[in-house]
Amino acid sequence: MKSIGLIVNPIAGMGGSVGLKGTDGKTYKKAIELGAQPTTPERIKKTLALVNRKDLYFITAPGKMGEDYIKKFDFKYEVISKIEAETNADDTKRIIREMLVKGIDLLIFVGGDGTARDVYDVLGLTIPVVGIPSGVKMFSPVFALSTFAAAEIINNKTDELIEKEVLDIDEEAFRNGKLAAKLYGYLKVPKNPSLLQGKKEPSNITKPEKISKEEISQYIFENIETDTLYILGPGTTLKTIADKIGVEKSLLGIDAVFNKKLIGKDLNEKGLLELIKKYKKNKIILTPIGGNGFILGRASKQFTPEVIKLIGKENLIVVATEDKISRLECLRVDTGDVKVDEGLKGHCKVITGYKSETLIDVK
Amino acid sequence: MTINLQKNENPYPLSENIKEAAIKGLEKANRYSEPKDIMELKELLGQYNNVPTERIVLSHGSNLLLREIINIFSKDRKIIRINPSFFPVTQYALKQATRITKIQISPPNFDLDPELLLNELSEPSLIIIDNPNNPTGKILINEDTAEKVLKNKDVLLVVDEAYYEFSGQTFASMLEKYPRLAIARTMDKAFSLAGLRMGYLLMGDYFKEHFSDFPVNLSTPTLFAAIESLNTPEYMTANVAKILAEKIRIEKELLKIGIQVFPGKANFILIKTNTPGFGKKLKDEGLNICNLADDWINGYYRISIGIQEENNKLLSIIKTIGKDV
Repeated sequence: MKSIGLIVNPIAGMGGSVGLKGTDGKTYKKAIELGAQPTTPERIKKTLALVNRKDLYFITAPGKMGEDYIKKFDFKYEVISKIEAETNADDTKRIIREMLVKGIDLLIFVGGDGTARDVYDVLGLTIPVVGIPSGVKMFSPVFALSTFAAAEIINNKTDELIEKEVLDIDEEAFRNGKLAAKLYGYLKVPKNPSLLQGKKEPSNITKPEKISKEEISQYIFENIETDTLYILGPGTTLKTIADKIGVEKSLLGIDAVFNKKLIGKDLNEKGLLELIKKYKKNKIILTPIGGNGFILGRASKQFTPEVIKLIGKENLIVVATEDKISRLECLRVDTGDVKVDEGLKGHCKVITGYKSETLIDVK
Repeated sequence: MTINLQKNENPYPLSENIKEAAIKGLEKANRYSEPKDIMELKELLGQYNNVPTERIVLSHGSNLLLREIINIFSKDRKIIRINPSFFPVTQYALKQATRITKIQISPPNFDLDPELLLNELSEPSLIIIDNPNNPTGKILINEDTAEKVLKNKDVLLVVDEAYYEFSGQTFASMLEKYPRLAIARTMDKAFSLAGLRMGYLLMGDYFKEHFSDFPVNLSTPTLFAAIESLNTPEYMTANVAKILAEKIRIEKELLKIGIQVFPGKANFILIKTNTPGFGKKLKDEGLNICNLADDWINGYYRISIGIQEENNKLLSIIKTIGKDV
């Protein structure tokens, strides 16, 4: 039997129908005042109705956080923990921790980007997840494409896993009509073709992700110029490069390396500008976000227009695994400065391996 | 019965006379193919393409010829490949290449910027390009660009014209002038010989030198069927016309349904839809199409044109597929 954790964020997605751009924090109460109805029950029910595996044992949260939906089906299950009438992110995190103690092989969660963030806070890259999309904001490619796709992923018995991004949207900025996001982390999801948001798992026309990352790292390592400041953006590909150089990289932050030594960690715009002004030769190494292809303006807001202007387009090095790049329609930039964005548009050469590269449009 | 619209095959079976020729070949299958029959096929292909026979190499499927080209010419050359392209060749190129550059073509037009290609030719290169492209159906390179490419003396240009009979566009007339040009062709598609596998290469002088000892290993049924097909080309021409007419009809119907269609020049249609599980829903109804998420981008599907009844079923299923919530 496979032990499956099931947790539902019962308020996820409620803001959408009443014109709010999320239900995090105070917005939930506003959504209720505006007459918002829960959307998650229908979504989890649709998914569970399509799950046809008989070897699953569910460990679920009580009431509207899981039990209410699973009990309508024939699955074997047990309910753990307790919740109050009103639930919040802390409940989600607490109950997932309790599930981990009980022992689960996979976690199914229903919610939006906020819920994915809560899941990441507890799980990191330990246990694989299946995300059933139900939120107002659905930027993270960790989610299945639909309730149907989520059921397909659960039914498909695969042990192969891939890492997908959890993107954190700044809700306050978002409600004011501004889209600002940062890369919050990575979750492991089962490898399944065409069923996930954004990019999917490696195909047979590309090299395996691990080999591709190693080749990229080797190429960058061998071509590092002396007396040049290298600013490394976020992401696991950049972390592999840092590992090759022999410096410790913050997975989600921006770090700086000079003559193969770490000279700045988790830098903000101010820190970046100071370093760029100090050193004569500077380069930024970046990787796009899987699925949407953003190289600037989403996962790394620290790369402000000011930073990009000082660095110059010719000093941006873009790296990506074969699989990630071949699944993108184009690369995208959205620095917040139209002129800077225009200057970055055109074609970009992306390093995809030791001796392989891809030319792709930047839009 | 399952309807297969995923491999760009010709939905029309062999005509009676071609089938009889294949059976005649089968009756001789205990023997190796005879040189005179091979020569007859080469002569017919020469006439069909207006190319001398010495510029033609035969093989079971053009894929094998493209692999051989990669084997011979990629050791000291960079391979240039368009993404997406016919995936088995890209896969093999990736495996064999000492150095590879992919040029990504982007929706909605999927055009190849000639300057981008020309700018990549500063070192010895082997360009293998589908024209029309598979899976977009786009004509990616015209004669003008091909000439500019071939003016670089360290560059080899191999054009895969698997869908020539549907596109009507070929570089065959350039072979005499440009030694470093080769054209891969197949009779699998327009001539309905997919199950018999009949590919050939039309070569400029440089390729001719390297393929002089390439073994001809054609089975007798393939050989006889190909000869008869070229002796009665009107069957192929009529089928191609029917397929192209059906293609136009399906494109219009899909547009009416609200499916995004990308016009192309082959016997298939590229579409994009955000309906979750679109391919699987068709499969559940007994109809297979090519889900490009397996090798390319989510939401893109390639549909080969079938016979009218198959196409009608395709359209009726697509009309009933609702949006998942």
